[in-house]
Amino acid sequence: MKIARRLRTLFRRRDVEAEIAEEMRFHLEQRAADFAADGLAPADARLAAHRKFGNLSVIQERARDTFGWGALERFAQDLHVAARQLLHAPGFALLAVLTLGLGIGANSAMFSITNGIMLTPLPYANQERLERVWRATPQFREGNFSAADFMALREAEAGYGAFSAIRPRAASLADQGAPPELASSALVSANLFSLLGVHMELGRAFQPGEDIPGREKVVILSQRVWRNRYGASPDVLGQSVRIDGEPHEIVGILPVSFNDWRHLGGVDFFRPLALTPAQAADRQEHNLRVFGLRAASTDAPRAAAFLDDVCARQSRAFPAENAGTSWWSEDLIVASYGSPATLVLLIALSGFVLVLACANLANLYLVRTIARTREFAVRAALGASPLQLVRPLVAESLLLSAAGGAVALVVVSGFHQWARVRSTGDNGEQVNFNLDPRVLAWTLGASLFTALAFGLLPALYARRVDLNDTLKSGARGTTGGRSTQLFRRLLVVGQFALALVLLSGAALFIKGLDDLHRRQGGWDVSRLVTGTIALPAATYSDEAAVRAFQRTALERVRALPGVEAASFASYAPYFYWGEIVKFQIEGLPRPAPGREPAARVNTVEDDYFAAVGTPLIAGRSFGPGERPGSGRVYMVSQSTAKAFFRGENALGRRIAPATDGVAEWGEIVGIVGDVESVEPDADHVPHQIYRPIAQATRHGFELLVRARGPEPAALVPDLRAVMATLDADLPIRALRPAKTAIERSLYQLGVLRDMLAAFGLLGLALAAMGIYGVLTRTMAQRNGEFAIRLALGAPAREIARLVFTSGARLAVTGSALGLVGAVGVARVLEANYPGIRVDGPVILASSTVFLLGVALLACWLPARRASRLDATRALRAE
Amino acid sequence: MAEKSELLPGTLDMLILRVLARGELHGWGITQRLEQLSQSALRVDEGSLYPSLYRMEDKGWIEAEWRQTENKRRAKYYSLTRAGRKQLEKERELWERMSAIITTVLQTA
Repeated sequence: MKIARRLRTLFRRRDVEAEIAEEMRFHLEQRAADFAADGLAPADARLAAHRKFGNLSVIQERARDTFGWGALERFAQDLHVAARQLLHAPGFALLAVLTLGLGIGANSAMFSITNGIMLTPLPYANQERLERVWRATPQFREGNFSAADFMALREAEAGYGAFSAIRPRAASLADQGAPPELASSALVSANLFSLLGVHMELGRAFQPGEDIPGREKVVILSQRVWRNRYGASPDVLGQSVRIDGEPHEIVGILPVSFNDWRHLGGVDFFRPLALTPAQAADRQEHNLRVFGLRAASTDAPRAAAFLDDVCARQSRAFPAENAGTSWWSEDLIVASYGSPATLVLLIALSGFVLVLACANLANLYLVRTIARTREFAVRAALGASPLQLVRPLVAESLLLSAAGGAVALVVVSGFHQWARVRSTGDNGEQVNFNLDPRVLAWTLGASLFTALAFGLLPALYARRVDLNDTLKSGARGTTGGRSTQLFRRLLVVGQFALALVLLSGAALFIKGLDDLHRRQGGWDVSRLVTGTIALPAATYSDEAAVRAFQRTALERVRALPGVEAASFASYAPYFYWGEIVKFQIEGLPRPAPGREPAARVNTVEDDYFAAVGTPLIAGRSFGPGERPGSGRVYMVSQSTAKAFFRGENALGRRIAPATDGVAEWGEIVGIVGDVESVEPDADHVPHQIYRPIAQATRHGFELLVRARGPEPAALVPDLRAVMATLDADLPIRALRPAKTAIERSLYQLGVLRDMLAAFGLLGLALAAMGIYGVLTRTMAQRNGEFAIRLALGAPAREIARLVFTSGARLAVTGSALGLVGAVGVARVLEANYPGIRVDGPVILASSTVFLLGVALLACWLPARRASRLDATRALRAE
Repeated sequence: MAEKSELLPGTLDMLILRVLARGELHGWGITQRLEQLSQSALRVDEGSLYPSLYRMEDKGWIEAEWRQTENKRRAKYYSLTRAGRKQLEKERELWERMSAIITTVLQTA
């Protein structure tokens, strides 16, 4: 009833008002008739009735208020007035909306990244109880498991829940009539998908028993491969594809949601991890990534106790491999996005941008309000209550924030487009950014926050307007009271502090990343081309076959006119080599199990060092003498030689992998320069050791070619052609200049850099606008004062100095404060990217100089204008 | 004409309800009836009457209906609802208690 009537007043306002009017007209007529009956003339009677009734429209209005939406209607009215006010000042409104849009947009964009990475659940139904299990060694906290360790976990899993393992492995995928493709693939425990809680879009998951050797020739495709390669045809189920030369049956297609950058989205297809008894007993290679699904009854402490227990038993039974290790687990989603520190830093910095935008607006708005002081005074004199004075101001700021919020949403969706492209991984895996309710709520919240932040201050000012003084002060411009002035100066100081933090944070990161790109410790990226080859085990059954291929391939590649040097190796020099081996040193006491020095090991061809540009420092490189049967030989890096032999000559000494069995000693024949990777994480393995590929090759390896010409990309088609003559079915993956490979691998950092740069520039622009705005406004209001000074004989120079120093002082104070925050940002970056060298002092100093330069320019413009003031005219205007 | 008194604040609603308790009336009728009942001692201000009527209508104490008067004019007639009757009882009780207290205080002080 009540609501129905309210709605009626809302939508059929005219009817309701007509009814009220009619009812009152009736009343008036009756009254007039009454008076007429008393003997008044009809016209007089009507007048008398009106007099008696009082102010008709006021009464009608009061009556309407009862029915209507009083507060809401008044609010709508305020908004209406505010909109008109803003339309009268389109420049101000546009500037305000853009500033807000960029500020809120930057902030919301950052939030949507955090949302996409940290807050959006992984595409797994069981996410709540999923864990990543790690094997920590004294050197490295986040290590993987050997097959035997994983088996031990599996046997005991009843005390925990269930475990599953993944071994990533590139493999070639070929089917009838299509060229083979080297794809990213993974071997997984048969229970993986049921453990994660992933349902296939088509077909089925692996079945128990399919991870037994001989029954493992089945494959599950990612949605991406299914679409790109098979046109999303449902007929592929049951079809056979050749993987590494062997036929596999397609049994399942993963859902599109699986394509998540954070976890396994980059994998093209999955096969069962089928371990032979010998493989399952292996304790040397730690290449199984282990996941666990806690049983509902297993809480985190119980899971930890379980892992400790199994680990302790393994350490006692197999001290050589497991002494000193500890096993631990963390939530899978936490493990999948790593450290949140960078995100927190970015959110904080984008918050700075927002605060800067607010400060700018507060300043602009305050100036505008001050200019309207007389209007407020007049309205107050006419009886407006403080609330009535403030309401239109609040409405204005709400309106501006709402418009700013709308612009921000445009900014955010634009950002999503950009980020989607920029953050697509090498293999098409993506970060899923969405304008979901959380992002929308954040944007709304940020808009309201800004409305409050910049709208409240002028409102408070308007409430304090002194009627008498203002009305008496005549038309003379006012700069606002002393405290308002102080406040506006503080705003500018704060802006500069924040701008410096933003600017130097961005500069630090950009510089660090450029260093990373340019870092060539022990290798030379110019003219280098690399690519990955994986020979199918079906065609190349043993090492001898692989070696035969490698030898012929190298011969032909080296014969190409554009090639200076060419080599195969397990790893390219500029990323961390995946193989880590613990060593013992002949003639030295063997350290306690688990404490042996660990080294990254690369397996290389004779020509490798010439191809990548690592200098030979002493001894010799590998040569044709190294054969599968001949004595083992090693080359070590300079610092490894120093650390292993404490300054004594390393050449001729012998080392061996630290195993429980008989040591297989090998002689050190050469010492080469240290190699530094471009990866931003600190390397926990300091040593580098090389083995000849002739003695230990695998089916997968890298091709490294140094071109003669300056354009290594030109070699790529020739190289492909050479490989095709050797084996038409052989795919080469990611054959490209090393520079491109490095840039691709650091693309996430590139995204980060671009965002920081945007924040920095935004901050700089906002701060410059802020100080410029304040100075010009203040100057305009002090025109009279300056004119008097000029008239009294002050040189124009003096006026300019006055304006200039008043601004410069603010900028310098702010920048000094900002330096403190900038040092903090430098610390955070240093801690999170230990591989990035942050050249703090130089960058901080140069960003300060740069910011001050911009600030001084922003001060100089109004100062110059002040010095050209025409005193006569200014005084006459008074 | 005798001196007219302004209504005590807060009593208008009660008086309107009381008048409507005897039968439905339009706004003009209510002013007439109130003046008549108070033997012209009370003056009802139209500026308060209509907002008060609308407020009570909004609260559901009275309801309104457009009808023809005896002179074939359209007028809005108000009548009491059940809630209005209850409200009248409540206000009357409150009034009686208050006036008794005030009288006592005035007499004994």
